[in-house]
Amino acid sequence: MPLKGAPRGSNRIKDNEKRRVIDDSQRKRRQRKFMELLESDNYHEDPHADLVMSKKVPKFDNSLEQRTSRNKKKERTVDYYQFKYRKNFQQLVEDNRAEAELRNCPSYMDVQCKESQLPQRRFCAVCGFLGPYSCLSCGTRYCSLKCMGTHMDTRCLKWAS
Amino acid sequence: MNDSETRSTRLQKRRRSSVGTRETPVKSQKTSPKALIVDNGAYSIKIGYAEDSEPKVIPNCIMKAKSERKRLFVGQQIEECRDCSGLYYLLPCERGYITRWEVQKPVWDHVFSKNVFPIEDNPVILTQPLFNFKSIQDCIDEIFFEEYEVSSLFRCSPSDLTYLNYAKHKQTKNDACLVVDTGFSFTHVVPYVLGNKFLRGIRRINVGGKLLTNHLKDIISYRQYNVMEETYVINQVKEDTCYVSKDIKKDLVKAAEPYKLNSIVRNYVLPDFNLIRRGFIQENVKTELNDEDNNYQILRLNNERFIVPEILFHPSDIGIKSMGIAEAIVDSICSCPQDQRQLLARNIILNGGNCKFPGFKERLYADLRSLLPVDWPVKLYLPEDPITYPWKGGGKQELALPINEDDNKMEVEEENDEMDESSNNLSMAAEDVDSEKGVNKRGRRTKVIEEENVQTQNTVENEYNIFDDSEIFPFDVSSYL
Repeated sequence: MPLKGAPRGSNRIKDNEKRRVIDDSQRKRRQRKFMELLESDNYHEDPHADLVMSKKVPKFDNSLEQRTSRNKKKERTVDYYQFKYRKNFQQLVEDNRAEAELRNCPSYMDVQCKESQLPQRRFCAVCGFLGPYSCLSCGTRYCSLKCMGTHMDTRCLKWAS
Repeated sequence: MNDSETRSTRLQKRRRSSVGTRETPVKSQKTSPKALIVDNGAYSIKIGYAEDSEPKVIPNCIMKAKSERKRLFVGQQIEECRDCSGLYYLLPCERGYITRWEVQKPVWDHVFSKNVFPIEDNPVILTQPLFNFKSIQDCIDEIFFEEYEVSSLFRCSPSDLTYLNYAKHKQTKNDACLVVDTGFSFTHVVPYVLGNKFLRGIRRINVGGKLLTNHLKDIISYRQYNVMEETYVINQVKEDTCYVSKDIKKDLVKAAEPYKLNSIVRNYVLPDFNLIRRGFIQENVKTELNDEDNNYQILRLNNERFIVPEILFHPSDIGIKSMGIAEAIVDSICSCPQDQRQLLARNIILNGGNCKFPGFKERLYADLRSLLPVDWPVKLYLPEDPITYPWKGGGKQELALPINEDDNKMEVEEENDEMDESSNNLSMAAEDVDSEKGVNKRGRRTKVIEEENVQTQNTVENEYNIFDDSEIFPFDVSSYL
């Protein structure tokens, strides 16, 4: 029996007050992180990174056809190309855009598809079926109380800083 | 056999094989070496000599295995790897464009080495992605001419080769056609109008096989086992189990049924790299998991099977603000000249690994059908092997017939001759410089060859302006822009 004078109320409401609603910019950041994950080559670290002799790797068999003129030249190392043509993807896209503008033809960025005319479909983030409800804190979709519970316990961003 | 005899037989041969009556002067070359065709994809290299019937598909990456330390697996060497769990990939491409030369160069070194596909005097046809960046093109040229000392090199996009292959297949010349190339890094829609790429109609969707595999990896890791490190295995899971749904809502209802009635759920036996080298779908799904005494791991796939490929059709499902593949095709068709649009809808070629999902063609047809006007016939062509189809377009047998006579001389025999000629120029140039090499520094020599190189490339490109990136269009296009 609760003490007299103490306010009565449901625990759910109390819990809800603790919940933080994450704002748009944070949701966008999460989405960007997710896209980066989808674009990544590997999730884990290089398993050979701790190898002491990793400096000597790579050893590739130099069985390339050696031509006469080739012998006179010094072998070019991979670093040569890496250094000479070192440009990251953003730089390349930017160069391409500038060049395309000069020539007045489409560039890499121009051919990218526009936004779809069709409405976005929502799927439950937990089980993959249609998800009509969205999480109050982070906007993730779910389909049922069960999936909501799983979401709250795992990927919900409500506690994330 | 002396020279003149060779010439006459060659002339006869050519007469017999060419459709037209046009006689082409035969160059004084003896026998032109067969071209080496390299379809340099971001995930796999399709490579072979012009007369081969099938190319060899070699992974375009260097892999590191957890089990075998101190060893790198380059290209198809991965077949020698016993335990492919936790494979670490070094991929040369970033979003489809080569940016990591420290990976690409060793892979090429391996591919062009003596016992794989050596370049002797062969002209090389190499594919590059559409809108390949200038500095990447330069680097490719430098590597091929300087390192591998190729006699001649021809860069074009895989969709060009696809177009040539299709034109040959259909025995047409000026037909418009639309190439859909959905590969590892992205999906391109490329309309060809009057034998030319119609640049303003090209569309790109940033969804490819890599993204699909990574997405599958993510949802399996969330729902079942942590497989974030098993890209290699999950890619196989994707290839073996995923399909494109005809009606996603119906399939979702079916997938929601309990397992015993469910026609979609599949149990996939994961490889353990001891007894099972490659995973497979378990035959009798309906039996409850009572084979736990067998110590293999089972992955249960339900709606994942069709939700993952669905991203190709609706990238917005995972928050990518882009059209799906069907919408992009319609958008591309609508940006082309009006009189070509129906023709384009009738000639759609599907290419690339993602086309291998069962049901891909049927679904795309259904989507296009509902988006395009009723009285337009829609035809999709899915080659037997959509991965090697572009490569075959580069093969001699596919290019042997004239394709675009108006476009002046579009024959591969000539292309080869042309290439030989250019290679002659090139080697002469090289010799010229060689003689004065004593005086000059090596840097100078490089530069001269590069210049020469650019020139020959230009001439080749002008000759076959189908490959030219600059827009040459015979009528006013401003109204469509």
